[in-house]
Amino acid sequence: MSRPTRRRWLTALLAGATLALAACSGSAAPGGDAADAGPPVRGGTLKVAFFPDNAAFSCVDPFQTYWIEHRSVIRNIADSLTDQDPQSGEIKPWIAQSWEVSPDGRQYTFHLRDGVTFSDGTPLDAAAVKANFDGWADTVKQTGGAAYGASYILGYASSEVLDPATVRVDFAQPNSSFLQATSTTNLALVTPASFQNTPKDRCLGKFTASGQFVLDDYSPGKSLTISRRPGYAWGSALSQNTGEAHLDKVEFTYVAEDSVRTGNLVSKAIDIAWPRNPFTAEDRALISRSDATVQSRSLPGVSYTQFANVSAGRPLSDPAVREALYQALDLPTYAQTVYGDGYPVVEGGYDTTTPYFASVAGKLKYDPAAAKARLDAAGWAVGPDGYRYKNGAELTLTYPLTQFSAGAELLQDQLKQVGINLVLDTVTTAELPAKLANGDYDITQTYFTRADPGALQFILDPDLANSKALATNSMTPDVRAQLKALFARAIQTTDPNQTEQAYADLQNLLIDQGITFPLFERVQYAGVSNEVHGFAFTSESFLKLADVWKTQ
Amino acid sequence: MTLSLTREDTALALEPPDDEPGGRRAALAARLRTLARRPGFLLASLFLLFVLVSAFVPQLFSGYDPYATAPKDRLLPPSLTHPFGTDDIGRDLWSRMLTGSGLTIRATLVALLIAVVVGLVLGVVSGFFMGLTDSVIMRFADVLLAVPGLLLALAIVTALGFGTIPVAVAVGVGIVPGFARTTRAEVLRVRTLPYVEAARTGGASWLRILVRHVLPNSWGPVAVLAVLDTGVAIIAIASLSFLGFGAAPPAAEWGSLIAGGRNFMITAPWVSLLPGLFVAATVLALNHVSKTLQEPAR
Repeated sequence: MSRPTRRRWLTALLAGATLALAACSGSAAPGGDAADAGPPVRGGTLKVAFFPDNAAFSCVDPFQTYWIEHRSVIRNIADSLTDQDPQSGEIKPWIAQSWEVSPDGRQYTFHLRDGVTFSDGTPLDAAAVKANFDGWADTVKQTGGAAYGASYILGYASSEVLDPATVRVDFAQPNSSFLQATSTTNLALVTPASFQNTPKDRCLGKFTASGQFVLDDYSPGKSLTISRRPGYAWGSALSQNTGEAHLDKVEFTYVAEDSVRTGNLVSKAIDIAWPRNPFTAEDRALISRSDATVQSRSLPGVSYTQFANVSAGRPLSDPAVREALYQALDLPTYAQTVYGDGYPVVEGGYDTTTPYFASVAGKLKYDPAAAKARLDAAGWAVGPDGYRYKNGAELTLTYPLTQFSAGAELLQDQLKQVGINLVLDTVTTAELPAKLANGDYDITQTYFTRADPGALQFILDPDLANSKALATNSMTPDVRAQLKALFARAIQTTDPNQTEQAYADLQNLLIDQGITFPLFERVQYAGVSNEVHGFAFTSESFLKLADVWKTQ
Repeated sequence: MTLSLTREDTALALEPPDDEPGGRRAALAARLRTLARRPGFLLASLFLLFVLVSAFVPQLFSGYDPYATAPKDRLLPPSLTHPFGTDDIGRDLWSRMLTGSGLTIRATLVALLIAVVVGLVLGVVSGFFMGLTDSVIMRFADVLLAVPGLLLALAIVTALGFGTIPVAVAVGVGIVPGFARTTRAEVLRVRTLPYVEAARTGGASWLRILVRHVLPNSWGPVAVLAVLDTGVAIIAIASLSFLGFGAAPPAAEWGSLIAGGRNFMITAPWVSLLPGLFVAATVLALNHVSKTLQEPAR
């Protein structure tokens, strides 16, 4: 009787030690503990808790949704033509075994893998891929360009089936970010029949894809369930497991309170806590102390950034005030205070995991003395209440936001130190778009997740942006022309050096012209139970379930 | 003989003067002495006095700027330098608590003022005139009573916009029907009493009867209800502020202070807990005081 007990104790101890080591290694080797925990075990239900669902636009359609959590789900229920290596950023084969790009960058020929089927049994062949491209172009028209994927197929002209396994995609103008786009969840493939459903129906889950899991149920705001697809055998080579999923089922729920989500993980009610805002230092410590680890990876794309309203009459139309704003922001303290020790300090308009990232940290140095001098020189004199005035008007910046946050109040206090009055204007979620549309703000924030610098166009280019007002107000027309020229240079070329140079120039322009005010690096955290093995992030820092299995 | 005998004359004729032994003032003093001998009541009153004074002059009790952030001192546990600890951007919670008292107490007073004034007017009018006026006002009160208070307040505050005053108005409107009902019941009782009949027989106008006889004699229970409802109003205002409808940041209110710590419940419980206890203690003290005041009256 005593021996098995002791052995069990020993096993537990060993397991504990392994887990402790895994905890120490943190995000260094995501999924690396799979080998330590032995061979993957089939079966089980994984429970994942997300940030609340998108109340304004409940959508799980790959092409239409921009919601990060749903893109994580889509990664596991739908396949893409290519995959992107999270380490190197290289584009790797997936449904397309190989491809060629014409020298002028306007023709992409994809050679598809054999034997791939959608979960309703129809083949994923060249005709299906063509149907997808045409379906996407249609969706863009039907939604008046609002579909999120619109940006990914910019310049798309037509596609042609060369033989059942070969498809050629033609562009009206070169689009150097298209190959990366084919690796994203937004260009994940669905059955041609799915496009007969309206965009709205597809959003609610009426589509069929070819992924490792199938979507069983999506109840907006409540839950989302996916289960194993039998007979799956065409996983991306970037995963160890390219066959059927280890897990039987995955249940996603939406939990509003950050503390409740963390509490659920610590109390083992869920297996993975997947927050939108980075865990606080306290939550990270709490998770590490429990039977779980914290995994993290910076989300590629635009960092958490403030965008100014530089329209005439607004205080930020004065370049001196914008310059002073950079100098007044203490970004290292911000990162450390709001997200704890060791949290990366933002280094520019993009997060560090974005391809072509070039650090402009040197231009974001905290220098309150210089900020004060700059404002003095620009005629903003300090008044009796400590704030600055010019011609009797107070230097007030209005920042509309929908919920209280410690970060905003810290920002407010930092700006107060140099005499800028940041007014945190709390509004309802419904009122916010109107505030932005009316230009009734000085700074506002937004971000965009995509492993390509082109992401920023969909914030700053009025023709493509979600909020046209934000894009229009963010810079003067002559600066916009410079920015557009740089994007064009980067995208309409097949020379990677030219792309790199153009994007580096662009990242400098963003700061030199006071277009973006980066606040913090967006890090995707995940609290992962020690019973979960094989956890990994995709190149877009989404959840990849291919190798995940649970201790039974 | 003229009809110039006013109520004051009657009162002066009938009641002993205030400064005589056994007069009104002495009775009050005696009652206060009895109350002062009750430690619970004394403690509650002193605490309420402190809350009131600190709400209007917080700088007497705290040396910290409630808005100055100090990232290095974030989430410090309660100590002698920071009696309530610090919040997640290093602000002293004790001084924020006291500054928050100012806004919350003011909002409570505004809410009560609205409730008492509107409730009294509606109740007196309804009880005194009866008939159709009474039916209309009371059915309206029924409708308001049928909607859960917090829900009604939420609807009002969403329409009015965010801020301390809209929250106060929303809560005030929510407790009006209770006051109207209580006043009406009292008025119905008082208007049948002999002295009202006497006044009417004496030829007094209805306005005079209302203001001189009915109102002063029916508003006792309303005063007790007002003290009791202060606690209810504080909790409702704190709830709305907790939900983020209160004053714009960085201003502190009791509710938003409690809300600010909810992400640190396990790791830094004092951020929510101490302001929460402070609110609970205030409401408890208010209830105790109003119950004690009711007792001798029974």
